Amino acid sequence: MSTTLRILIAAVLIAVIGILSIYSSVSRKEGEVWETICLRQIIWVALGIVLFWFFSKFNYRWLWDWTYFIYAIVVFLLFLVFVLGIVRLGAQRWLKLAWFNFQPSETAKLITIIFLAKYFSMKSVDDVALKASKFGLWRALVLPFIFVAIPMFLIIEQPDLGSGAIVFMIFFIMLYLSNVKLRFIIIFLVVLGFLIPLGWNFLRDYQRDRIMVFLNPNIDPLGAGYTVIQSKIAIGSGGFFGKGWLAGTQSQLKFLPESHTDFIFATFSEERGFLGALILIGLYFFIVQQGVRIAEKTSDHYGKLLALGISLMLGMQSCVNIAMNMGLAPVVGLPLPLMSYGGSSVIVTFIALGILANISKTRAVF
Amino acid sequence: MRIRILFFTVAVIFIFLAISLVNLTLLQGEKFRDLSNKNCIRLIPQGGSRGKILDTGGQLIAGSAISYDVVVLPQDRQSLNKTFSRLAITLGISQEELWQKFRRGYSEPSVPVALVKNIGLEKAVALEERKLDLEGVVIQSEALRYYPHASLACHVLGYLGEIDRWRLTKLADYGYKTKDIVGMGGIEEKYDYYLRQEDGGLSVEVDHQGRFSRVLGFRPAQSGKDVQLTIDLRIQKIVEQVWEGQTGAVVIMDPETGEVLAMSSFPNFDPGLFVKKNRNSISDLFSDPASPSLNRAIAGLYPPGSVFKPVLAAAGLETGKINTLTTYYCPGSLKVGRREFKCWDTHQDQNLVQALAHSCDVFFYKTGLSVGPQVLHDYALRFGLARPTGIELPYEEQGFIPNPIWKKIYRFQKWYDGDTANFAIGQGEVLTTPLQICRMMAVFANRGKLVTPYLIKAIGGQEVWANHRRISPAHIKNSYINSINQGMRGAVAEQKGTASVLANLGISVAGKTGTAQNPRGLSHGWFTGFAPYEKPKYVICVFIEHGEHGYSAAVVVKKIFAAMMEQGVF
Repeated sequence: MSTTLRILIAAVLIAVIGILSIYSSVSRKEGEVWETICLRQIIWVALGIVLFWFFSKFNYRWLWDWTYFIYAIVVFLLFLVFVLGIVRLGAQRWLKLAWFNFQPSETAKLITIIFLAKYFSMKSVDDVALKASKFGLWRALVLPFIFVAIPMFLIIEQPDLGSGAIVFMIFFIMLYLSNVKLRFIIIFLVVLGFLIPLGWNFLRDYQRDRIMVFLNPNIDPLGAGYTVIQSKIAIGSGGFFGKGWLAGTQSQLKFLPESHTDFIFATFSEERGFLGALILIGLYFFIVQQGVRIAEKTSDHYGKLLALGISLMLGMQSCVNIAMNMGLAPVVGLPLPLMSYGGSSVIVTFIALGILANISKTRAVF
Repeated sequence: MRIRILFFTVAVIFIFLAISLVNLTLLQGEKFRDLSNKNCIRLIPQGGSRGKILDTGGQLIAGSAISYDVVVLPQDRQSLNKTFSRLAITLGISQEELWQKFRRGYSEPSVPVALVKNIGLEKAVALEERKLDLEGVVIQSEALRYYPHASLACHVLGYLGEIDRWRLTKLADYGYKTKDIVGMGGIEEKYDYYLRQEDGGLSVEVDHQGRFSRVLGFRPAQSGKDVQLTIDLRIQKIVEQVWEGQTGAVVIMDPETGEVLAMSSFPNFDPGLFVKKNRNSISDLFSDPASPSLNRAIAGLYPPGSVFKPVLAAAGLETGKINTLTTYYCPGSLKVGRREFKCWDTHQDQNLVQALAHSCDVFFYKTGLSVGPQVLHDYALRFGLARPTGIELPYEEQGFIPNPIWKKIYRFQKWYDGDTANFAIGQGEVLTTPLQICRMMAVFANRGKLVTPYLIKAIGGQEVWANHRRISPAHIKNSYINSINQGMRGAVAEQKGTASVLANLGISVAGKTGTAQNPRGLSHGWFTGFAPYEKPKYVICVFIEHGEHGYSAAVVVKKIFAAMMEQGVF
């Protein structure tokens, strides 16, 4: 079985599990909105599979040429969201397109990877060696960070702390994987260590609450801690085999907020128990592992970085989301890739996997 | 190399997640399963209502009124704030106060908080209509005891309270639990087993706002059985209206059957206080020196005084020590041993009928001395004295009738003739309850039958026959009783009779007054009698503590009978 097929099967499996869980979590909710949700997700997943197929055929080298253009578009869209947020005096994470809400922050994660993969793979014209290993502090650290910081800032200001953090983590991982000198990375970490306490002041009240609640959910059981407590109850009460499909009381009876989006893992675990959750975690790990294997086998440095970035981004997002579901990470708005309801996330993830599949196919060419 | 390190890190994170999953689902699974159930399963107790207590005509004496309580399910602060702001308008209670009550009642996230109790039907309906705007608000209904006539017949009824440890140990086998509401005193206690409801319940699944989702299980509530009393509300009302604030008791009975038609003890109390759980007024009630909670009709022990004389007369006639022609001369006192025993007047020549009419003490001193204390004691027992009457009320006292042997054994003293003289006029050691006296008088009214007073007519619509059969002959000859009744009729009809105040009532009353001396103050006043004389329908006993004279009791009887005639009860 080819790597492409394996990745596709794992991804579709997760997506189907996601659809079933979404169906379950909204099955007893009334109102027009809920009725169409499941159908919409099916359409997204179908569209995602088509795009996966398309991108797995589409040579990823083309992305190299279009990088700055896509980057500019994404930053523009993020800026649009930012401006709308100011105009409407509130949280704004979507652009209302004709029939769905487009979330540019999802694409920002992918473009950050593409951009950094290109940046750290540039070769000097004279000898075909990678420039990255010879970069000074400015070019190795500051310049790429500026490029990453622009979308990151716009995302955090939406406010979407979770996606912002993921973009930042992507930057760090890509930096680490590129051949940049290790001491720059250490400098980066040290500076970061000094900046974190400063960053606290820039957080909004509710974001601080969430971090405090993460440290101790019982300080505010009816407020910010409510979700974490309910999510842990949902996962824990599933036991070994779970309560059965459509029988999860926590999600069905709406004790668990966001049970079809950010907390879909809890919804699923409640109904399928330890066994189901373990298999799901295994599937995510399988995709990450396949991605890393593709990267290792790719001799093209750009493809290697791209593949690593994509698989680690997926791995990170899944880990942070699952950890957040289990009360091991602060509650930040972050979807579980492929499972959570939401078109932008599903489609971007499938595209990313499509690129991954393409890298695995075309590596022989170089 | 860096790839390997990163991949290893990711793998470790995944393994860490799997381990936490084991911890959550397997190690702590049971705890979370419990919490999840607590989240969504609610037991909605469906209180049946306690059985009603009805009078003989089926009118309500104690019923159940429904109380509506506002119960709130804990949610996040925002929606609570919204809910409270709306509740505040409807209930007329400020938001801050609602928050205060909520905090006081809050125990854990899944336990509903009783916010406001007994809000009344109108507000309950108003809230129920706005249910969709009021997230997590449940209106719970609860049946509370309701007394339409307030303190009427309170001693017969008793009151309701939370079960105490003593009762719980006694009743645990019958399915009583802590925090149960049980009857205390009166019919409520004695017939609690029948009156009490069986709480059913609904176990339902609710959503995060406490809104009903589906029923998981159901056990219907069983209402208690109604208890119908022999009390006639009309008579009972008259008795309590006529009474003028003295301390005492009234019992009215049907002489033929022993049905208690009215029973009052004064001062009385409002059993509704126990429903409202007003601690201050409840403790006031129990610390009141006049002890309003005591049912004096069955638990008040008093020397009977002259109302005891008919018993002695019966004993004298039966033993042949006197007959209707026996005449004693009353010079106003009698010397027994070394002591002078006074009569309250100088009656000159008195036969039995006259002596009863005038309540001549000398006649009865002499009769008593010739009958003897032991025989008199035995006859007193024939009239049901010195033992509980067997009425269906708890805490009945049995009273006391002395005799020489008792005095020898317990007091180490010889019985003197002076004791006999005292005994003869119902003084000394003699102690009776008003109900016993009433029952004694019923023997004369029904010509020789000792009835068992009873209060229960029917339980759950079924007539209770248990007590009706217990009518035993007192073994007194009919002709003797007639003579004694003549004397008691004389007490009312004759101008010099002690109860002549009852003469012009329009019905013929016969009876006996009593003035019982006691060491603690003024004499107690007694009147016991029956009416109409020819065919008695009612036997009555009125007792006034420190009423000074039997006359004052006769006055109360007059008022009662007059009101009864006015209302056509006769």
